[in-house]
Amino acid sequence: MEYILDVQDIHTFIGQYHILQGVNVRVPKGSITALLGRNGAGKTTTLKSILGLTPPRNGKVILEGREVQGMRPFEIASMGIGFVPEHRAIFRDLSVEENLKLAERSKGDYLRKKEFIFGLFPDLERLISLSGTALSGGQQQMLAVARALVADNRLLLIDEPSEGLAPVIIENMMSAIRQLSSESTIVLVEQNFLVASKLAEYYVIIEEGRSVKEGNMQDLANDKAAIHRYLGAA
Amino acid sequence: MVSYFRKNYILLITLSVFVALFSAAAQGMSQQDFIITLLRGLAVGSITFLVASGFSLIFGLLDVLNLAHGTLFMIGAYIGWTVFVRPDTFVDLLTPLALIVSGFALRDVYPLLASRIRLGLRMKRILPWALALVSVLILGWILPRYPIAYWDTGNFAQSPVTYAFMASQGTRLPAPLAAFTEISPALGLIGLLLASLVGAFGLSLFASETQSTFRMTWKNFIGFAILLVIGLVGFIFNNALTAFLLGLSSNWLFLVAVIVAMLSGAGLGALMESILIRPLYSRPIYQLMLTLGLSAIGIEMVRAVWGRPEFVMPKPVFFDGTGAGCPATSFADWWANNCSTILLFEGRVRVYNEIFIPLVGLVVLVSIWILLQRTRLGMIIRAGVQDREMVEALGINVRRVFTMVFALGVGLAALGGVLAAPSMGLSNVMGESLFLNALIALAIGGLTNYPGAALGSVLVGLIQQFIIKYGQIGIPIPFTEIIFKPTPPLVPASTVLLMVIILLILPNGLLGKKE
Repeated sequence: MEYILDVQDIHTFIGQYHILQGVNVRVPKGSITALLGRNGAGKTTTLKSILGLTPPRNGKVILEGREVQGMRPFEIASMGIGFVPEHRAIFRDLSVEENLKLAERSKGDYLRKKEFIFGLFPDLERLISLSGTALSGGQQQMLAVARALVADNRLLLIDEPSEGLAPVIIENMMSAIRQLSSESTIVLVEQNFLVASKLAEYYVIIEEGRSVKEGNMQDLANDKAAIHRYLGAA
Repeated sequence: MVSYFRKNYILLITLSVFVALFSAAAQGMSQQDFIITLLRGLAVGSITFLVASGFSLIFGLLDVLNLAHGTLFMIGAYIGWTVFVRPDTFVDLLTPLALIVSGFALRDVYPLLASRIRLGLRMKRILPWALALVSVLILGWILPRYPIAYWDTGNFAQSPVTYAFMASQGTRLPAPLAAFTEISPALGLIGLLLASLVGAFGLSLFASETQSTFRMTWKNFIGFAILLVIGLVGFIFNNALTAFLLGLSSNWLFLVAVIVAMLSGAGLGALMESILIRPLYSRPIYQLMLTLGLSAIGIEMVRAVWGRPEFVMPKPVFFDGTGAGCPATSFADWWANNCSTILLFEGRVRVYNEIFIPLVGLVVLVSIWILLQRTRLGMIIRAGVQDREMVEALGINVRRVFTMVFALGVGLAALGGVLAAPSMGLSNVMGESLFLNALIALAIGGLTNYPGAALGSVLVGLIQQFIIKYGQIGIPIPFTEIIFKPTPPLVPASTVLLMVIILLILPNGLLGKKE
């Protein structure tokens, strides 16, 4: 199988805390892969370590055959990664349109992708001149995902897309993510197992900073004992 | 609209109290006094704003409290003075400075070079120091022998004070030309270039990065090439350039001085950020120590080079006319005679101090606003103030933007310095009180808020000037015979008091956002 991203045994420290103690994630090209695990297990840190925002001290991050650990975040992102962070990180002082334009990596990205983005999230088009603060949680989440689509990204790292959203909006978000997966590979961090299991083909479970189990989502969904053991709920 | 009032009612009440106070102040003095005091306040506010806005841009995006900002303001003034009063010195300095800085313009190339060199661990530790030492030795040998026509602070007849005085009398002395006598010109130029390359490479090794996607393109050599060309042109056409600058009318020379001061400030800022501050982003206390130390070093350097005594920078003739037809009675009249003063509402207003400086302040205010609101760089800055990490995650080289913003901020301070020089005069301490004013203005307006910096600066300028004015005419206390005259120490105290009151009511300043 061809892997677009291959994370090999990374160890990440934040301050003096040893947060990731050996995480392995392999992401097949064109798939949706979910990172699962309890709160504080290290899922978000794994995404940030891939991007270099919390650079791993040991281990390798191989993106399309190239080792990227130790590079600056903007260099890694420029290789074709779109990042949708936890809590969305919408720029408050920028309008919706400026939030999107900021994500351009070459001139004209926004104009080229406009139609596709507004096709996916029709709501955003009429909010275009509003400031980032004026948006509801769901709209902010749409904007955060849309922002990751402006540049030509082959890999999307999406952190908690369903967090704090109403069920109807979660449905919309899920269908949008499903549409996106035909264009790019997606790594998803998701607390809500139901959402994750409906979207992802593969999973990696992270527990206390280590990746402990991986495989096909279908198999996990049928394995009630494992779900109970690793994710507590469901 | 209604919700805006409801949300900001404290701010609106505070502002209306200010308006009421100022109109009360207007009742207590004659109209001409009021107009002049108002304009003076705006002038002080404009200079304060130039320092405060740069400081606040840097603090907002980089989280660096640049305590050297006041010193850089002062250095801008001294650089501008040098270009204006001693253009020959400026031309002589052009070549060595351009060559010394040129090596640093290649800083993107050095990591690549470093990665090609395989060295033992011990050599790796020694090499940067060795290179830096070699560079310093070369510089130390060449610079004293490099010919630069220069004043002499020890000799009153040739001190900056004398040159400043003579320039204000309209005489530009034919300065003694400096020539290569001790070393050959080729040795001088090549030596400086070599020292620069070696030194910049050594410094880059101190902060070597692990790995980079860097690819060599011609773009990395643009800055180097430009500086090299400046250096060579300055060297070959030295005498012609000096003669040209000395032949310019003082208006154009003043413009050159302002531009040179601004660009030098920007360059100084860029070097300071990329060499000294960059390794300290994760250690805020060290940044404070560093910038505080740099501030002290800067002041001592100015003392060593320009001397301790205060001196003036003459105004360009455009603002310096006297005699027939002066003071001007209208702006058309002023345009015809270039008077230094103009009669407005029966009061004599100094054109440079009280009209030109506030106008420049306004132009800068609007240009930076346009930069922030309408350009991509401005968008990155506004986004970066809130969340640098996310901006970087979008694939934007935030660090390069940091350098640009630092350069911009210091450039604005230097602009403030050179503009203030003809009205305030040059002294070793001119930066300190102004920097304090700027900090107070920012606390009042909201630390990282750009319109807040402008509002705070204007308020600080106004309250100072009104207190000074009332120190002359006195405030009659109602129902008593007493006339209260604020003493000079009350001037700085009044701004601090204003700050305290505003921070008690609005802890984030007038326009600051809640954290």
